[in-house]
Amino acid sequence: MTIDMTIKIGGAAGQGIQTVGTLLTQACCNAGYHVMGVNDFESRIRGGHSFFQLRISDVPVNAPSHQVDLLIALNEESWHRHQNQLKDTAMALIDSGEPIESDDRAVNVRFAKIAGQTGSKLYANTVAAAAGLSVLGASFDLIESILTLQFKDKKQGVLEKNMSAARQGVEAVEKMHLETRPLSKTSAPKGQVMAGAMAFSLGAVASDCRVAAFYPMSPATGIMGNLTAWTGQIPLVVEQAEDEIAAVNMTIGAAFAGVRAMTATSGGGFCLMTEGLGLAGMTETPIVIINAQRPGPATGLPTRTAQGDLEFVVHASQDDFPRFVFAPGTLDQAFELTKKAFKLSEQFQVPAIILADQYLVDSLFLLESKFEPENEINRFIVTDSDLDEPGSYHRYQVTPSGVSPRALPCQGEALVLVSSDEHREDGHISEEIDHRNAMVDKRRAKLPDMLKQMAEPTEEFPDADTLLVGWGSTAGALTEAVHTLRQQDMNVGCMLFTDLWPFPAETVLKRFNQTKRIIAVEQNSTSQFARLLRVETGMACADSILKYDGRPFTPNDIVQAVQQMENR
Amino acid sequence: MTDTKKYDTNFKNQWCPGCGNFGILAAMKDALAAREIPPENLLIVSGIGQAAKTPHFIQCNMFHSLHGRALPLALGAKLANRDLNIIVNSGDGDCYGEGGNHFIHAIRRNTDLTLLVHNNQVYGLTKGQASPTSSMGMTTPLQPRGVISTPINGPALALTLGAGFVARGFSGCQEHLSRLIQAALSHKGFSMIDILQPCVSFNKINTHDWYKERVKEMDNPNLNDVKKAMELATADSDRIPIGIFLAGESHDFISRIPDFKTRPLVSIPYDKQSTTAVLESVQSL
Repeated sequence: MTIDMTIKIGGAAGQGIQTVGTLLTQACCNAGYHVMGVNDFESRIRGGHSFFQLRISDVPVNAPSHQVDLLIALNEESWHRHQNQLKDTAMALIDSGEPIESDDRAVNVRFAKIAGQTGSKLYANTVAAAAGLSVLGASFDLIESILTLQFKDKKQGVLEKNMSAARQGVEAVEKMHLETRPLSKTSAPKGQVMAGAMAFSLGAVASDCRVAAFYPMSPATGIMGNLTAWTGQIPLVVEQAEDEIAAVNMTIGAAFAGVRAMTATSGGGFCLMTEGLGLAGMTETPIVIINAQRPGPATGLPTRTAQGDLEFVVHASQDDFPRFVFAPGTLDQAFELTKKAFKLSEQFQVPAIILADQYLVDSLFLLESKFEPENEINRFIVTDSDLDEPGSYHRYQVTPSGVSPRALPCQGEALVLVSSDEHREDGHISEEIDHRNAMVDKRRAKLPDMLKQMAEPTEEFPDADTLLVGWGSTAGALTEAVHTLRQQDMNVGCMLFTDLWPFPAETVLKRFNQTKRIIAVEQNSTSQFARLLRVETGMACADSILKYDGRPFTPNDIVQAVQQMENR
Repeated sequence: MTDTKKYDTNFKNQWCPGCGNFGILAAMKDALAAREIPPENLLIVSGIGQAAKTPHFIQCNMFHSLHGRALPLALGAKLANRDLNIIVNSGDGDCYGEGGNHFIHAIRRNTDLTLLVHNNQVYGLTKGQASPTSSMGMTTPLQPRGVISTPINGPALALTLGAGFVARGFSGCQEHLSRLIQAALSHKGFSMIDILQPCVSFNKINTHDWYKERVKEMDNPNLNDVKKAMELATADSDRIPIGIFLAGESHDFISRIPDFKTRPLVSIPYDKQSTTAVLESVQSL
């Protein structure tokens, strides 16, 4: 790649960091670059320290970098915090009372003061964005078009004031030049900027989800926020429940009554939903739960990322029942696996869980090909006309596949009887040994066919001596790390899992049998995937690269860890 | 009494002989027949407990769910299919204990369903522990020195939360109870009946005779008077008024949802066009 730059915008919560980040990302996308942006913020509304980190390149980028080319510091603290990540060639535009003279990469630009002169300090972030774009080589036309896109729907005057603030910002850095000015050359956009949360929300819409119930919890709330905006345009109701217990039970009730339904939460909320997950398992009600992971236990780090819930969601609830677990790693996978979760959940009448995380839902990625709707949606439902004798319909009729014909309540003569107690084929509760065994066996009988639906892991250089194994959102960092390591003549490949449960053990055993050494790469502290792999296949990972500080992996984290292992 | 045979099931009933649930079951069937709700148009959602087994003994669609969770589950079903006739059978522990938060919020939402709280002031299924409505001082195997918390008054709580239909019934006054259930089923919005019932096995204080001496059917001429309703709901335990305390006008949850289609969500076919419109609205590719 010839261009690979990272721009970091830091400041306090409430200073509009995300707005600057979005503006810069949009501008770089429109200028024809690949972009990806990471939001790093604290669980607070004002103060503290937040930053947005944008990476732009002329080749696809799907992970944050560890080095910074341009720092836009809306306060002095941002300089002190990120100074050590700056490349030698970097520039830092800093809004500090006293100019920082100890470092010649530092340039003092009084964003807030300049904004004050144009009308209000509120526009400091626009001044900063324009200044940043300008040193990156953007023409004012580009800046203008981005501001128009961002503010055209706002109250009258807002766009004009932002435009004037932007002019001042450009003027303030007029004589300053970064060595590389990527925005001085533009080409057609490579795609569109999209947050991971949006891909999940669109996946739900494309699945014809009609009821979504939730209790607000970072970082899952954004997924529900998107859905809320579309109610009225499509047959969809989004309800904020009194707690996660209610949310999952509403979801189950809606699914039982016949629509596709979902809920989204994070680990703590998933804890409360566990009881309902079991109910969905026992009553064979198809629901979709998105768990956008954050570090735990308990409240943990509310606004940060983790992959610590894998073993939890795979095993959550008392006793055994079949379920699906998917962990997408990209925008495309978020959309496709949400659709797959809805479909398979209904096809097999089991709950489906999607493991996302804060990094995936809150980060901005480049969507390169459009998400398309389905031509039709197969609901795997029967009505009276499909039944020989609807009057003697049995919801839990034993079948070889374990899947019983599913009728909906109050849609005909067939009465639908459902119990959370163990039950007979007709749905009435029973403690008879034969009934219990028949129902456990029936539910379990779905597993072989469910397994056939599990996609194989994707791989890069699978014949390598060392295979890095990851799942979910670490895909971008892992893939890039592999390419970097190979450039350093290390024989490394990777295998990335998205379809996690039921665990595709046989496929994995076939794929791995040539490999000499497997290293698990995960964002938890005990290498949960490695443990799952061992339990399900008997295969042991030689080592693990783990990160549990709540921040996403950079490719460099992985590269360095592998190098250290080699040098041991 | 109308013919209630079509609501009978052949599922074996194992409630204790003399259980108040039998009176409630009979009153329900009578009310359903009177209101002409056919089994195939009826959904009964229940939680867990002896009361929650009720739908097994009524010909209907049924979701016998989790302890305390019947109300949110019923709301979800109602969202999916606004045409459903939903009755929720719950008990004092199920509704006021495990499901207390859901009870509060179901009232806030004014979900159009009828909640029947079988209130025997004790836990029956788990063999005789105190419930949220057990009276102060009542001794049980698990509270041998007596209950030391005050009981929840379900109807009074519902009234403070702005419930539109609140009534109290008694399992021993079956015809009266049937009339209450009929009125509740006709009410648009959340309707609840706290139904006093003896537990012949575990509540030796609030027996059938104890209630018989105290309950009094009353005529409430002004069903819109919340103050009067509260007075009735909180009357001294020596004289327990049963009847409808409040049956005001109400705007139910489904009708509060803006843009909610008049057809049940479940009956609207998949529409590629509107789905495409949403996908297009956020995609610029």
